[in-house]
Amino acid sequence: MKIRAKLFGTLPQRYPGYDPSQGLEVEIPDGAKVKDLLARLGIIGSDGGLVAVDNLVVQHDDSLKEGVSVDIFQRAFGG
Amino acid sequence: MQFIRVNMSEQTVKIENVPQDYVGLGGRGLTSIMINNEVPPTCDPLGSENKLIFAPGLLSGTSLVNTSRISIGAKSPLTGTIKESNAGGTVAAALGKLGITAIIVEGLAPQDKLFNLIIDQNGNAALQAANDFKGMRTYALVERLLQDHGEKNGVLCIGPAGEYQLASASIQTSDVDGRPCRAAGRGGLGAVMGAKGIKAIVISQKGKSPDAIADPESFKESAKVFAKAVKDHPFSGQMLGALGTAGLVSAVNSTGAFPSYNATKGVFEGWEKISGEFLAETIQKRGGQTTHMGCSQCIIRCSNVFVDEGGKYVTASLEYETIWSMGGMPGIDDLDVIARLDFLCDDIGIDTMNTGVAIGVAMDAGYKEFGDGQAAIELMEEISKGTEIGKVLGNGPAAVGKHFNHHRVPVVKGQSIAAYDPRGMQGNGVTYATSPMGADHTAGNLVGAYLGGMLNPLEAEGQVKASRKAQIAMASLDCTGLCMLAGAALAAPDVSEALLKMINAKLGTQLGADDIPALGIRVLKAELEFNRNAGFTSKDDRLAKFFYVEPLPPHNKVFVVTDEDLDSTFDFE
Repeated sequence: MKIRAKLFGTLPQRYPGYDPSQGLEVEIPDGAKVKDLLARLGIIGSDGGLVAVDNLVVQHDDSLKEGVSVDIFQRAFGG
Repeated sequence: MQFIRVNMSEQTVKIENVPQDYVGLGGRGLTSIMINNEVPPTCDPLGSENKLIFAPGLLSGTSLVNTSRISIGAKSPLTGTIKESNAGGTVAAALGKLGITAIIVEGLAPQDKLFNLIIDQNGNAALQAANDFKGMRTYALVERLLQDHGEKNGVLCIGPAGEYQLASASIQTSDVDGRPCRAAGRGGLGAVMGAKGIKAIVISQKGKSPDAIADPESFKESAKVFAKAVKDHPFSGQMLGALGTAGLVSAVNSTGAFPSYNATKGVFEGWEKISGEFLAETIQKRGGQTTHMGCSQCIIRCSNVFVDEGGKYVTASLEYETIWSMGGMPGIDDLDVIARLDFLCDDIGIDTMNTGVAIGVAMDAGYKEFGDGQAAIELMEEISKGTEIGKVLGNGPAAVGKHFNHHRVPVVKGQSIAAYDPRGMQGNGVTYATSPMGADHTAGNLVGAYLGGMLNPLEAEGQVKASRKAQIAMASLDCTGLCMLAGAALAAPDVSEALLKMINAKLGTQLGADDIPALGIRVLKAELEFNRNAGFTSKDDRLAKFFYVEPLPPHNKVFVVTDEDLDSTFDFE
């Protein structure tokens, strides 16, 4: 299935030509989980923090659905 | 190790050695313990019995990076509680290099008399009549002071809001470029400075008499470890330099915890137009500075310089909390308007957070339309002129709520919440409710735990414990002069050990790892004692009622931590 991943913080710098308005189109297996998407994008360990779908926070073990737009953020602290 | 005691009733300045009781204290530890010892808790915050204390951190003025935070303390006219508000800029490092542990301002100047306190490169201090500066906004004021006294000075000052003694008035501090764009914004301490009759404190940056370091070699070695860790950390070493604290907009908004339209929504529709990513893109396109050194000895460079379409300076630095208070809360999705509002707050000398929320409450009450940026700018000018509505706004959201008889006022103990809704980040609600300072995110912010997936932000479980730990850690950190953003690196054991070694090397002590949280607990206990003696009880440690009964979209949650759990926040043992 295909989903759209939008990257925030300094994550876009890893993808030359990244278009913030479009994000990345990513193909992942049906029933793949959030953690599978992160692994597919090479976002691992302390790189990855919060993930949200439609402004609702999802857990790394949650499954993704075809066509969703997934926002991926970096870990951040107080401002 | 010297105190400068300034008596404004008699206009005298006395320099004394730090009394034994206060040796080894700095920053918030010094201001809070001294206020608890020396200020009558029931006094009028704007009266002669209150004291206004300026204390650099224990490590300010040393070679360590990111140590130019100054703590300013007094009894607050906004909250009625003890208050410590800290700010960056240049003055903490300048005071540290002069070996000045604190400036303590006592008494009240005769009415309508204003003074500047000038501290030269030898640490000599004198009051100068400043009636000519009356009514000046801070940018013009600082420009003139630096012309008169030289560019190598740091300045602490108030604008018109402080002179009017408004409850949201800030004390502004100058950055490395000599702009008064850093603020001790919280708690209305600018009003205390105005009541004392001090317009500005000018501090030489040429001091060469810092307190001796007991073990310079050990200090130097640990300082290198700390600096490297700050640089290597993905947050302090990369993200903050690229996006500043504004990088939090998109993340917090996506958790549904970005209080918008006076905290009636947790997601702001126009967030992409005020995000850190868009801010950086806009600044870059216009030729401003996306990263910038705002504070002395800073290697993080979270600051920025926002310019207009013609490339002309508007403000520095546009930060997360201000983008929220002047953007999300009044529903304004235009960075140019937000930047203008930020500049006006600095120039008038008023807290961006309390003021943005006050405007949001006024809009929610129907006084102006949500999203009307021009109206917000005009309201700022009302504050500057000291008109009736301007004074209502300048006294903060609680005063606005009372004026318009409007119930939805997001404050605790009179101070506005910050850019994390307590229904979407429950633990920050615990901190807002219980902090001795009133609603204050810097007292114990759990956003890092939520964004890192370590704590569920929407459930009650674990929030009190996490807030307690964070409040103790922050009370300790606020003693050092270190920037909280550099504090992100302290999670690594070797880095926290390096900090402990530096404190021991500076003071010649043998403190152990447990002594650092013990210091934080000592500070919190002093603050809680002051508040109890001022008449505060556990019933004051509650959020505004609407947080318990109005669900916040999109999660549609209310604040669910019980009163009983809140009351256990400071069960230290």
